[in-house]
This record gives sequence, C-alpha cells and structure tokens, in this order.
Amino acid sequence: MSQEHKKALRVLMKSPVTDDMIKFLTNTTLQVLPASLPTPPTSPSDSKQQRLPSLMTFITKLVRYTNVYTSTLLTTTCYLKKLQRILPKDATGLPSTIHRMFLACLIISAKYHNDSSPLNKHWAEYTDGLFSLEDVNLMEMQLLALLNWDLRINENDLILDLRHLLEPIMRDLEISYQRKKILKSKSEQHQYIQRPVSPISPTKSYNKFYRQVSSSSIDSNMSSATLTESMSASSSRYSLAQSRSITPVSEKTPLVLNDLKTGYRSTDESWDFEQIMAQYGF
Amino acid sequence: MSSSSQFKQLEKLGNGTYATVYKGLNKTTGVYVALKEVKLDSEEGTPSTAIREISLMKELKHDNIVRLYDVIHTENKLTLVFEYMDKDLKKYMDSRTTGNSPQGLELSLVKYFQWQLFEGISFCHENKILHRDLKPQNLLINNKGQLKLGDFGLARAFGIPVNTFSSEVVTLWYRAPDVLMGSRSYSTSIDMWSCGCILAEMLTGKPLFPGTNDEEQLKLIFDMMGTPTESTWPTVTTLPKYNSNFSIQVPKDLKKLLQPFTKEQLDDIVIDLLNGLLQLNPSMRLSAKQALHHPWFSEYYQQQPHQ
Repeated sequence: MSQEHKKALRVLMKSPVTDDMIKFLTNTTLQVLPASLPTPPTSPSDSKQQRLPSLMTFITKLVRYTNVYTSTLLTTTCYLKKLQRILPKDATGLPSTIHRMFLACLIISAKYHNDSSPLNKHWAEYTDGLFSLEDVNLMEMQLLALLNWDLRINENDLILDLRHLLEPIMRDLEISYQRKKILKSKSEQHQYIQRPVSPISPTKSYNKFYRQVSSSSIDSNMSSATLTESMSASSSRYSLAQSRSITPVSEKTPLVLNDLKTGYRSTDESWDFEQIMAQYGF
Repeated sequence: MSSSSQFKQLEKLGNGTYATVYKGLNKTTGVYVALKEVKLDSEEGTPSTAIREISLMKELKHDNIVRLYDVIHTENKLTLVFEYMDKDLKKYMDSRTTGNSPQGLELSLVKYFQWQLFEGISFCHENKILHRDLKPQNLLINNKGQLKLGDFGLARAFGIPVNTFSSEVVTLWYRAPDVLMGSRSYSTSIDMWSCGCILAEMLTGKPLFPGTNDEEQLKLIFDMMGTPTESTWPTVTTLPKYNSNFSIQVPKDLKKLLQPFTKEQLDDIVIDLLNGLLQLNPSMRLSAKQALHHPWFSEYYQQQPHQ
C-alpha cells in the first residue's frame, strides 16, 4: 500500500461521519445478501409490531444515538466484506437479516477496537425496540461463530475495503500537494528551473494489490448456509406483515459506486480539510 | 470444535480478571488443559475482554505464549480451552520464599525466565499486539522451566488508525510512568516497563514499586529513577496528569538498592539492562528486540547462530 493511501486513511478516520459514509455502509451491507432483496409484500402490518425501517434509516439512527467514532463505524465494512466472502452467493435472509448483520458487525467492531464500548443492553435500546437484548446477544454470538473469531483488521484490509471513500481524499491531498509545490517553486523560481513533477498514480498500485487479493479465493469450512439460516431464524417475528415499509429506493438500487466518488465533499462542508491535512504534515 | 462434555472439570486454579479458571482433563486424549470459564452477563453480551483475548490468542502461536486450543460458546457460558501450565511466576516465587523474608531467584534462572519473557513479548509486538497486563501472576511456568505469557484480557491490536487508548491499563505496580500520567498514545514501551519491574522482582523476590494509588506509585518510581524534566523527557510536562509539584529526586544506584535482597551478587550488566527497561521516557526504553540482544543474554544468542 502506498504512503498516499495510508495518509488518506488517516484523514478519513479523523473526519466526522458523513452521509456518504452511511450510504456506502448501506450499500456494503446490502451486497452481503444480494439475493434476499427485494421482499414481496405480504399481509398488512400488525399495529403492535415495529415497522422495519430502511437500512439507511437504521444505520443513521445508530450513528446518531451512539455518536460512534468514524473509525469504528468504517471498520464495520471489513467485517461485512468478510461475511460476504463467507456466505454463499445465493444466501438469503429475512427482511431484518441485513439489519442484524450490520448491527452485529458494528457491535463487534466497537468491542474489538475500543477500550470502552456500550453494553448489548444499550445497543438493544439504540434500535428503538426493533431488537430485544436476547436478539442482540444472539446475533453477536452468531457473527463471532461465522467469523470464527478472526476479528483482526489490518491497514491493507481497510485501504482495500474503503477505497471508494479514500479516492476523493487522495485526489484532494494530491491537489493540495501540487499547489504547495507550485507556490514553493514560484518563490524559488529565480534560483533554479523547476523540473516538472511527475504525477503520482496511486490507482495503479492499488489495482495491482486488488487483483492479488481478489484472485485468492477466501474459503470457509464452516457450514455457512446453516448459519445464515440460523441468523435469520430468530427473526421470524419480522418475517411477515411488515414488508410494506421496506421498499425504500436506495435499497433496491444496486451499488452505484460512481455516485460515491463524486458525492464525497459536497454533502459535508463542516470539516476543515486543510486543517486535517495540516495535522498530517501537509 | 469441542464440546464441554469432552472435558472433565477438576480443581479450581484461580480467578482471573473476568473469569474462573479450572484444571481440566481432555477425556479423549488424556491431556490436561486449563479451562477458563467466562460467565456471560446478558446485559453486556460477550465481554470485549473475551472477544479480544480469543481473537488475539488465536493468532499468537509461540513457545512463550500460552496456546489457546479451543473455544466453547454456549448461551450463558464461554469456555476457553488453554494449554495447561503448572503454576504462575508469582506462586513460584512465593513457594521459594523461606520464612518471612522474600528472597530473589538464582541469577541463572532469572536470566532464563527473563529471556523467555522477552521472546514472548517480542513476538506479540512483531504481530502488533500489546499485552498491557504483564505481571508475575500472568506469566505461567511449567515443570520444564518454560515461561509463557497468559491472560490477554487487556491486550489489544495496534498499528491501524483507530480510536483512542485507555490509560486505565496494566496492574498498578507494573504500570509505566507515562501511562500513570495519563498518556493515551503509548505503544510497545508500555509492556517493556512491566518487563523491567518483573526483572527486579525476580532478582529480589519483592515487587519493585508497590504503590497503593496512582500518586504513590509515581512517587515510588521517581524516588528510585529520578524525577523527569523537560530535558530528560521532552513533552513530559504536557501529559494530562503531570504535576509541577512532584518532589525533585535524583536517580539512585539500582545496584545498591537491590543488592541487599538478591540471592547472588549482581553484576553491572544486569543493572544496565534494568536501567534500559526502566527508562522514564518511553521513547528511551529498550524494545523487546533490543532487550534480547542485550549483553546480559550473550550466552543465549551465541548459541543461536540464526538469531
């Protein structure tokens, strides 16, 4: 991994949670069980039962309630990607299965990466009654079994899995670097002739890495089909009667990554890019 | 995957930070194991200590780290199946105490144990894992004289840009001065301070800095190692709990202080190693790799040409 990737990763992890990050996580989660969507409508909702919020709403609320660190939130991506590799391509679940998978990954990310993290009792409360404490305990246990307790995430995993969030930052870092170079060369112009700076092409090195990784198939000797079933089995009370609420547009749309590339800065102007870059010695 | 019925639970070995440890017998193989039972509190779910201990120890396969064989996860109990070790270093040192006055271990034994401690922690650090609770109770030994690191309940991975670290780590007596003053940016040096405290404890048979609270702990450290200043430790005054009223002490002669309690005459080489580990400034402290190359161990690495 290039130094540019590492710098961009540090900038990303220090920045506040943005809508684009939530969109990205929503799409990543949906990709884990692509076969399970969309759900056909069934009988009318029981008024006593909780309506299943869209995954994006669910994630947004969790982020707001917990004030989760950006790094904890984004590291969830790596666990979701691991799940995607472990589960069979045609794995399906019930409508709330994707919510469970996301929540379980977030809980594990928080417990593994932070010295203090919320209790499962609190996580259950953050779901606004969607999941009980027993549900949360069960989904956590099932995820640990699925991942076989292999929770270590390294920098390369993060750079690979978060590349779509990193690319715009890398471009910004490059622009800022070139601007500084020009300023510097202008001030030194009378001393010597500036040699043109050959542009850095971080995408090249990243593609090379990606090909290596994607060609090595990651296999699991676990009976993953059974585990997917068991992951959704406990969710039977959400299986019927609520599908009316679960057809937000964003969930039906397959992952459109190009949107993310362009949308990265426009949605959140609240943080000072220059300042963050200065922090990392630019 | 094992099931709990595969093991016969024998006597209780002790209470860890978050679990109870029993001796167990694997009925199929006849091999003894240590069964660490973690009660699952429904409000917490699976404790983060257990999550980290399992995840980290699964990757740490080394002669000087207790091996985690298996994990049995049931609804209300999590059982970690570990390699069985005869006792811990604390119990061993206590058993060697004659009468009421503690006495250190033989120098050759101290050296062998300390070497293994460095081998184990060096492997952790190479794998970007901090132990964060090194102390004699967490160093397990067997009848062959092997020493292995155990109890990774406070351990964590480092090296990826995530989150802050707590300064509420490491048992007080073995806690580094930077951590006592509230540093959250510590790294591998946090474990090396503990290694220094353990070395002194093996030499004398008693804890080096037995403080009862954070302030007293710092005072005991500064009384012996000197009070740090900006010139000996740049940025020390910016630490959250730095106090400009610390009483000013000069470093003492460790050899003179420790000699009365040791079994054998101390040489300058072991004192040099101790001083390297007990550097107040974390950036000056020896790393595990450096410690393994210290002249005190020359007889070991000369036998190992591949090192």
